Amino acid sequence: MKRLCYSILLAISFLFFVASCTEEQDFSQFNDLRANPILASGLFYLESDEETINSAGALSSFYSREVNFDAFNEQYVAERLLEGVVTYEIDNSTSKELRIIIEFLNDAGQSLDMEIFTVEANLSETVVREVPYGLGGKSIDILTNTSSLRISANNLGDGTSVSSVEDPKIILRSGAQFVFQLQ
Amino acid sequence: MRMALKCIVIALFCSTTVFAQNKKLLYDFYEIPQSLMVNPGVKTSQNWHVGIPVLSGISVQGASSGVTVNDLFANDGIDFTTKVQERLLDVMSNKDDFSFTSQIEGFTVGFRGKNRPDDYYSFGVYGEMDVISYWPKDLAILAFEGNGGNNIGRSFDLGDLNVRGEMVNVFYFGVNRKVGADLTLGARAKLYSSIFQFQSIKNSGSFVTAQGANNIYESSINADMQLQTAGVKGFYDILEEDTGTTRKDGKSLFSKRVLLGGNLGLGLDFGFSYQLNPQTTVTGSILDVGFIYNSKDVWSYTLSGSASTDGISVILPDDINSVDNDLWQDLIDEIDEALPHGVNEKAYISWRPVKLYGSIRYDFGEEGSPFSDNCGCAVNQDSGTNRDYYRNSVGGQLFMMKRPKGVQPALTGFYQRRFGKAVSLKATYTIDKYSYTNIGLGTSLQLGPVNFYVLADNLLSYSNVADSHYASLQFGFNIISWNGN
Repeated sequence: MKRLCYSILLAISFLFFVASCTEEQDFSQFNDLRANPILASGLFYLESDEETINSAGALSSFYSREVNFDAFNEQYVAERLLEGVVTYEIDNSTSKELRIIIEFLNDAGQSLDMEIFTVEANLSETVVREVPYGLGGKSIDILTNTSSLRISANNLGDGTSVSSVEDPKIILRSGAQFVFQLQ
Repeated sequence: MRMALKCIVIALFCSTTVFAQNKKLLYDFYEIPQSLMVNPGVKTSQNWHVGIPVLSGISVQGASSGVTVNDLFANDGIDFTTKVQERLLDVMSNKDDFSFTSQIEGFTVGFRGKNRPDDYYSFGVYGEMDVISYWPKDLAILAFEGNGGNNIGRSFDLGDLNVRGEMVNVFYFGVNRKVGADLTLGARAKLYSSIFQFQSIKNSGSFVTAQGANNIYESSINADMQLQTAGVKGFYDILEEDTGTTRKDGKSLFSKRVLLGGNLGLGLDFGFSYQLNPQTTVTGSILDVGFIYNSKDVWSYTLSGSASTDGISVILPDDINSVDNDLWQDLIDEIDEALPHGVNEKAYISWRPVKLYGSIRYDFGEEGSPFSDNCGCAVNQDSGTNRDYYRNSVGGQLFMMKRPKGVQPALTGFYQRRFGKAVSLKATYTIDKYSYTNIGLGTSLQLGPVNFYVLADNLLSYSNVADSHYASLQFGFNIISWNGN
C-alpha cells in the first residue's frame, strides 16, 4: 500500500512537472488590440441626359430632391467612425455649364455642410474632388449627424443646345473610404 | 488531489487552444484497459477490470497548427496589434485550425466471458467534448483591414468560416474476441446522448468591393451559409433569463441531456490485431462510425442569395417623377430581400468525426515470464507466441481523422519497454500538421490490482507550454484482475 501511495505521488509530481513550465503570459494585452478597418462604399450616383436638362429650361433646376441617408448616423457606425475621405467624380459631356449642390442635413433638416460643383460644358476630363473628414479635414460630426442629403442640379446654360458627342450626359459619382474603429 | 488535477486541467485548457484526438500513446498500450477504447480488437490479457469512476480515464488534448498562445500573449513588450498582424493575419491560412478535445470516463467495466473465455466484454459511459475551428482568414482580414484601401478588388471567401463543436455522452458495449491463435477482433456499439452540437461547415460565397460599372465603388456579395445548432438554445435561454435558479436549471438540463434526454445517435467501432509471426503484429481500428440525429432544441441560421450595390442611384429621366425620398432605406430593403436570412428548426444529422488507426509492431528481447501468466484465460495460454513474453516493442502507427476540411493524418514511431510485471513505458515520436517535434511518454504502473497510467504528449514543448502547438495529457486509475481474484 505504501508503495502504491509513493507511486501515485510520483506520477502526480510528474504531472505537476510537465504542466508547470510556461513563460509569463499577459492576457490583458487583448485590450490593446486595435482593429481599424477601412470600409469602402459607393454613396450616391446621379445621371441625367441632356434632353432632360433641356426640358427643364434654361437657367433652371432639372433635379432637386431630399433623400434620407443614414449610412453614417446609425449609432453603431457613428460611435466608431474615425476619419475618411468622400470622393466625388463628375463627367459632363453636355453642352451646358451645370451646378450640382449636395447638402448634408441633420434630423431637423438643418444644413450641416454642402459641396458645390460648378461644372464646365463639354468636359474632356473627369473632375475629381476628395473631401477629407476627421483629422486635418472637415469635422466627422458632419457625417455622423447627417440623416439626409439634399441634391440639386441646375442648368446654368440654355435650354436648347445639344452636344455633338454621342449620348451627352452629366454624371456624378461618389464613394467613401472610412476608418472604422472596430476594437 | 482533485484540486491539483483541476489546476492541471485548467492550466492545459488555458495554455493551448487547439486539440486533436490522436491517442497515439494509448493505442496498443494493452497494459492499460483503456487501450480498448482506441482499438476494440486489441489483445486483452486481463480477466476483468473496473475503472475508478470519473478517474479511470481523463484526457485533454489541444493543438494549434498556426499561432500559439505565447506568440500572442507573451509579456514581451511588443505591441499586441503588431503581433496579431504579423503572427496571425499575415501567416495563418484557412487550413490552419484551433481544436480542443477532452474526454472523461464516467465508468468502465470489462470482464471475460465465463463460458467463452476468448471473449472480453466491456461497457461503460464517457463524456466527450470536441471543438474545431479553422482560421477564417478572409473574414479576419475583412474585419481587421476592411474592404477598402489595398483590399479594393479583393474577393473575400465566406467559405472560410468553418467551425464544428459538440459535447456528447456516450454509452457503449463492446466485445473483444480472440478468433484464432493469431487474430483478435473487436466491435463496439455506441449510443450517443448529445448535450449540444453546432456546426457551420458548408459555407460558400464571396464578398468583393471593386470599381463599379456606374459608381466609384460597387460591393457584391453572394452567400450560401448556415449555422446549425442543437441543444445550444436551451442553455442560452437559461443564461439569458438570469434568474436565481440559473445554475440549478443549467445543471438540470445538463443532467437530462447526459441521460439520454436530448438528441440521440448511434455509432460503431471496429478493430483487430493480427499476429503475422510470433514477433510481429499488425493492428487497426475505425472509431465513431456514427451520427446523431438532431431534432430537439434545433436552432439554425441561414443566409443565402446574392446582391450588389453601388449606393443610391438616381437616373434621369427614369427617376424624374419618383417621389420616394426613402432611397437609403429602399436600398437596405433591397439588399435584405436579395439575401434571405432566417432561423429554422429543421432537424439535421451530424456525423461523428471518424478516426482510423493502424499499426505494425515488432517485439523483441525475449525474457522472463509472461506479463499475465496467471490470467487463466485462453488468450495467453499459447505460450511462446504471445507478445507478452517480449520486453521491448518497436513499431509505427498511422492515425487519420475526418475533419470538416478533409482527412487529418499523423504518423507515429514508438518504442515500448516493460520492466517486470509492474511498469511499462512507451515513448513516441509523432509528425503531424501541428508539430514535427512531438515526443510523447507514457507509463503504466501495476501495483497489485491497481493500475495507474499517465500519458503526456509533445514533451519538448513543456519547457514553455504556452508556446506549444500541441499538448495532450491522459491519465487514469483502474482495478485489474489478472487471475480472477
